[in-house]
Amino acid sequence: MVFVLTHWINLIAMVCLAFSGFYIHYPFFPGFMGVARGMHFFFMFVIIINLTFRVVAAFFVKTAVSLGSREVDTDIKNWLPQKANRRQLWPWIKYYLFLKKDHPLGAKYGVLQKIAYIVTFPLTFIMAYTGFAIWGPTMDWAFFTAGVSWVGGYMYMRVVHYFLMWVFIIFTAIHAYLANVEGFAPSALIFAWKESEGLHFDKEGNPMSGASH
Amino acid sequence: MAHEDCEVLYSQLAARGVTRRDFLRFCGSVAALLGLSETMVPRIAAAVESAALKPRVPALWINGGACTGCTESMAQLGSPDVATVVLDLLSVNYFETIMMAQGEDAEKAKADLAAAGGYVLVYEGTVMTGFDGNALRVAGKPQTEELPELCEKAAAILAVGSCAVDGGWVAARPNPAEGIGIQQFCEDHDIATPIINLPTCPVNPEWVVAMVVDVLFLGGLDEQGKVAQALVDKLDDFGRPKLIFGQTIHDNCPRRGHFENGEFVYEFGSEEEARGYCLYAVGCKGPQTFTNCPIVRWNEKATWCVEAGAPCIGCGNANPLSAGGNWVDVGAPFLNRLPDLPLSDTTTVQPAAAASVVGAVAAGALLVHGIGMKAAGRMDGGAPYEEIRESDRKKGGGR
Repeated sequence: MVFVLTHWINLIAMVCLAFSGFYIHYPFFPGFMGVARGMHFFFMFVIIINLTFRVVAAFFVKTAVSLGSREVDTDIKNWLPQKANRRQLWPWIKYYLFLKKDHPLGAKYGVLQKIAYIVTFPLTFIMAYTGFAIWGPTMDWAFFTAGVSWVGGYMYMRVVHYFLMWVFIIFTAIHAYLANVEGFAPSALIFAWKESEGLHFDKEGNPMSGASH
Repeated sequence: MAHEDCEVLYSQLAARGVTRRDFLRFCGSVAALLGLSETMVPRIAAAVESAALKPRVPALWINGGACTGCTESMAQLGSPDVATVVLDLLSVNYFETIMMAQGEDAEKAKADLAAAGGYVLVYEGTVMTGFDGNALRVAGKPQTEELPELCEKAAAILAVGSCAVDGGWVAARPNPAEGIGIQQFCEDHDIATPIINLPTCPVNPEWVVAMVVDVLFLGGLDEQGKVAQALVDKLDDFGRPKLIFGQTIHDNCPRRGHFENGEFVYEFGSEEEARGYCLYAVGCKGPQTFTNCPIVRWNEKATWCVEAGAPCIGCGNANPLSAGGNWVDVGAPFLNRLPDLPLSDTTTVQPAAAASVVGAVAAGALLVHGIGMKAAGRMDGGAPYEEIRESDRKKGGGR
């Protein structure tokens, strides 16, 4: 349940950050700069606190080992590579490229999915770093000026911040697509906490009896 | 020091129509630029007064690959004012653009001073290292041949203007003359002479005056005639005086209120422009340019770029030891929010265009993939699961 909340907070904060960020990049209609900047700074703190909480909570909260399963395990274990993920990278790539007809077995999350999700965490913190580096109140902290020198000045830090936003936008597009393309059960769970029969393999990644497929 | 002792200075001032009151007011503005309190004004005045009695401090004004804009900026101190009097306290023995001496006489004056050492080297323009230094020849030789000695023997180097700091626009892509700043040149030749960087294009004369007062008259030089640590401590990571280059133009901009209100000029010649709205949307580089232009202003405090209606083009951006850090590569095209990024020496791309293309390709790929998923009948719960992992099957195992 707690992760339904954090996911909602993430979604709202990301949308607000992207929108206000675009506006700050170029004010495409007048009269909104003060609000846009306020939004950007507010949701910046929201998302950092939320993400930090999410990471810490992953070590304490137990979640289902697969969608639709009643068996639970500490959340972080479902996130990090598991035995069931082994040697499944190539089958997953083939599956998505239509070179493999049947669905690869896996743990709760597939190999590509885990890579994408795990990378998102440090990426969000890097995004925050690049933002702080060009934010007036923090831009002269040595911790941030070191990074600014490294990328070649404040202008290039802006460019990095801008491109990283596009990485998040593209991540979100792919994430939303893949989460829903095979049915809306994952969305029902993460947005409305509505459980489904879901997918069907156990902790070891083996198909469970009674699977409908 | 008694007032009568300073007749030399005050007669010079009077000859230029400058009163003692003007002089003290000038000392006040210098104090502000140097970050000193009002109580220091008499000390500055006394320092300048006593300097007028002493032998003048020798200086060399060396032009590299320069447009002479910085010289113009200094020379255009139009009405005879206090600043010119203070600069007269420097004995500029060599100044190509305005000196009387020519030919061998001039070169000898330079060589003599270089041999003696202990002068202030004012460097204007880009150090041209390309074509084995032949990109800039002075007195029949590549300038890069004489420059190491001139830098080595100087008490301090004042790099005036962005070109002297990091190559400036001369060093912008593709930079065939391999222009660099004087600091990079000294670094390449292991020369440890302290350098004070004063970027912007051209340099603001008031900053030069403030630095001359700081270096020469306020104990900026130690016993060895080298720049004292106290002065070096006043410089930032880029060798610029923190007080002059410590805040952004945006921080002190008179149009800042319009920025916060979201009132922008989107087009020149528009009503918004006539109202004096913020120039952010036409590419103003004020938010990332660290100079005190809005406070000190230009042309004897008359006005400055943004006040005159032009967006800041970021000429004060400087990165002395980074190729490509010059303000033109960092800021052009000046009316865009973000710079063009180089793909090669001659082709560039706007970040927004690059990102839009990548975004559109990603969206298109997802669409095509979606059609494929539909065609493969995977939309409803995905394809059936494999009975056994491929890797297990290959091993002939399985449970």
